[in-house]
Amino acid sequence: MGRYVLRRCGYMLLVMIILSLLMFLVYTMIPYDRAVTEAESFKTAYKGNPNAAQLYADKLADLRRQLGTDQPVLKRYLGWLGLGPINGKYNGIFQGNFGYSYTYDRPVIDVLKTPMMNTVFINVFATILGLGITIPLGIFCAVHRGSKRDTGIQIATIVGYSIPSFITAIIFIWLFAIMLGWFPVSGMKTPGSNYTGLAELKDRLYYMSLPLIVMTFSSLGGMTRYVRAAMTEALSMDCIRTARAKGLREKVVVYSHAFRNALIPIITLVIGWFLGIFSGSVVLENIFGLNGVGRLYINALNDKDFEVVLLLQMFYVIIGLIGNLVTDIAYGIADPRVRVNK
Amino acid sequence: MSMNGNSSQAVKKRGWLGRMFFGASKSVRDERYDSPGKLAFKRFFQTPVAVVAVVVLVAMFGFVFIGSAIEPVDLTEAGAEMLHSNVAPTQSFMKIPADMKDGAVDISSQGTFTIGVSTDGNVYMWGFNPNSSTNDKINVLNVPEEVKNSKIVHVAAGADHCVAISEDGHVYCWGAYDVGQYGLDGSMIAAARKQPDELINGTIDASQVQQLTCGNQVTAILMKDGTIYAWGNDGLSATNLSSVIKYNNNEARLVKVAFTTDGIYGIDENGVFVPGKSTKFNTVTVTDERGAVTTTSLEELIGGRKLVDIAATGNALALVTEDGDVIVSGMKTPVPTIPEGDEVKQVSAGTRHFVLVTEQGRVYAWGQNYRNQCEVPEKFTEAGAVDQVFASGFQNYAFKDGKFVGAWGLKGYLMGTDEMGRDIFIRLMNGGKMTMTVGAVAVIISTIIGIIIGCLSGYFGGMTDMLLMRFTEICGSIPFLPFALVLSVILQASNLQENTRIFIIMVILGVLSWTGLAHMVRGQILAEREKEFVTAARSMGVRERRIAFKHILPNIVSVILVTLTLDFAGCMLTESSLSYLGFGVQLPRPTWGNMLNGARNALVIQSYWWRWVFPALFLSIVVICINVIGDTLRDVLDPKTEVDR
Repeated sequence: MGRYVLRRCGYMLLVMIILSLLMFLVYTMIPYDRAVTEAESFKTAYKGNPNAAQLYADKLADLRRQLGTDQPVLKRYLGWLGLGPINGKYNGIFQGNFGYSYTYDRPVIDVLKTPMMNTVFINVFATILGLGITIPLGIFCAVHRGSKRDTGIQIATIVGYSIPSFITAIIFIWLFAIMLGWFPVSGMKTPGSNYTGLAELKDRLYYMSLPLIVMTFSSLGGMTRYVRAAMTEALSMDCIRTARAKGLREKVVVYSHAFRNALIPIITLVIGWFLGIFSGSVVLENIFGLNGVGRLYINALNDKDFEVVLLLQMFYVIIGLIGNLVTDIAYGIADPRVRVNK
Repeated sequence: MSMNGNSSQAVKKRGWLGRMFFGASKSVRDERYDSPGKLAFKRFFQTPVAVVAVVVLVAMFGFVFIGSAIEPVDLTEAGAEMLHSNVAPTQSFMKIPADMKDGAVDISSQGTFTIGVSTDGNVYMWGFNPNSSTNDKINVLNVPEEVKNSKIVHVAAGADHCVAISEDGHVYCWGAYDVGQYGLDGSMIAAARKQPDELINGTIDASQVQQLTCGNQVTAILMKDGTIYAWGNDGLSATNLSSVIKYNNNEARLVKVAFTTDGIYGIDENGVFVPGKSTKFNTVTVTDERGAVTTTSLEELIGGRKLVDIAATGNALALVTEDGDVIVSGMKTPVPTIPEGDEVKQVSAGTRHFVLVTEQGRVYAWGQNYRNQCEVPEKFTEAGAVDQVFASGFQNYAFKDGKFVGAWGLKGYLMGTDEMGRDIFIRLMNGGKMTMTVGAVAVIISTIIGIIIGCLSGYFGGMTDMLLMRFTEICGSIPFLPFALVLSVILQASNLQENTRIFIIMVILGVLSWTGLAHMVRGQILAEREKEFVTAARSMGVRERRIAFKHILPNIVSVILVTLTLDFAGCMLTESSLSYLGFGVQLPRPTWGNMLNGARNALVIQSYWWRWVFPALFLSIVVICINVIGDTLRDVLDPKTEVDR
């Protein structure tokens, strides 16, 4: 097991390097040079000077050397990682420099803190809610397969997973925020409020409830179907027939024997889904005006704040890779039959 | 097996004679096994939900592809109409009341509503209230009680207000007033030209009124003695108003005026064109049939002739000279030629078109025809059909001997309009075409890549498999939506043609979503590869590549088909999400995703429901149908589910 994890980690590192290079290549494809933007401010300062053009060109070259944008892509990539010198200095990710946000005029890592907390907060909540509903529902459907209730739920889940989350969001905003007035339309907290402690949490939950409901609702369809399929598969196994033949109570058969077998696909699903909502929440955070990672990402794209974009890209990549690794390891824990050290 | 069950029920007991000639049972034919494909096909169409889904989907395809071929979307300025922004679904624009049909004094309109006054002095209004959704809820369609109770002789409609003059000289105004359309209460009144006090509190001599006319948010009353009463938002809707009034007071009396969207133009008692300080229409650009552009000055075209009539659309002027010549400035469409021996009687203007009635009673219309304003019915093009046409806004009402004989123009919008006044129904059809095309092309690309990589990897195994699967894994680890967003930004920054850009978006979607299929195809092939028929083929010396693509691939077509269907829905959703966020297909080109882009604030969701309900409904229905079909396909193609049933 230990060797397997180690090998997976090593492989993950390799993939990460390849993908980070790919991301960096994409990043350099953006026709945008920070040095040009910076030099723009000097253009006005040189106005009136007889050799303004020459001074500007010098300044631009100087800035480009400082920022390293005159270097070839590979050198810039190494510089970004901190493995190569930019302007004679080693100052990259390995030195703790994650880039600089020019919109916020702060290091990217500072900019990321609050949105990251918010996103994780929402996603953990949504995952718990989603699992709490879908696992029992999926098991119910699998056990009562073919019944009228099952068919009804199946049709509802198809509808549920076909409707994109932004349409669900619009409908729910219309219904719960505008028609019924139960929840606020968007935002993170009551404007101008200055709550602390419990009141703050209450206010925060009040503002997050609608996004949470939408997130949970849009996940219901797909997850329920998945759990149902896994359970159906597990229930048709020979060991279940044996268990029933032994005269075990149906509850024990379903929850102890069958569910344990259905757990592997469910674990894959849960992890994949938990990580998927990080990139999936890009849409919802924008609709609800939540100060999360997804919204920061879109704003950074719109504001041409590309160092933030680059770091977030890497964040999403790492999240995905860690997800794969955790899935593999979790397999072994959930199912002793999977011999991961093979 | 279900087939056996069916056939045994079908067996009918026969007598011995019957058995002698026809055999014991008719079910021999029934017991024959259908091919798996045929069986699946049969079972698919035995599922009612799937059949409904297929019917609905085919109907949607028809609606989207045939509809967009019939009514292509107009991406130029004609497609949008700011006067019609946020109009609810309605067909009331041209519903002239029955009482108006016996005789009309005047019919007037700018944008969404029309006001008419009948010969017995009653005021009627029809159409859509442009302020129905704003917070102040001013309903211009509510005619004030005093107006209903008095005999009205003149009416005029602006973009959001109405003015009427009664026989006893009262000037009544109603509708929106915020930018000084009337009264002194508007919050922006400081910037507006104020309504004269004698009109608010006093009366004028109604018999001396030469003309009452409204511009966008301005109003002018021209008296026979040369007085001009004018008020309203002249900073926006009539920038040259002061200079025209100055001309009237100092040089020569005006006899007729007409408002465009941002100016006022008139002719004076000497037949001279009065543009005030505006120079907008001083040059006339004409494009002849060969495409050659000639520019002439308006003065030269008039050539010293006296002018007898003036009419103005939102951005064009028509001047009628004393010898019956019509000079148009600001409109590219040429003036229709009148047959020999006929003469111009009356030129009137809607908001985007002109209508000409000849002495012999023929009707000609020219200008913008996107909203059917110029679709003159056949019967009115013959002599003696009509003697008066009220071209008002986007509709035309024809009268003969004082009786209403017909109308043509814009009836309304079936599904309303968006914030730019674009017809949602037309955009829905064209947007659907775009969404479906993007989804289809993307899914075809992803399927081709997925099949090739999956087949190679599964069949050859070993090193090839390892390398290809690692490659697939790396591609699968790319975060889909964020990556697509970045690529879209790069595309936007580069100077590409819109069509090329859309094609590249399709390719990106396809290239990012093939990994799932590749995995599945590989797994299936690994299972198929071990079967006897492959061994047989190999022992017969069939080439490896031929085995992979010709022998094994057909056996996994069912899996591919299911994934293809479900991926199609997925790609459509991704495109919609991208466009919804503003990173996919760019406005004004419609897709179902970017039509929903406007529905990102509470006001739109609450007040302009038609702007999100229709695109959301259509997108959801199509995706649901595709998913139902894909799901049913999976059930009927998978032999395992047969046992479950």
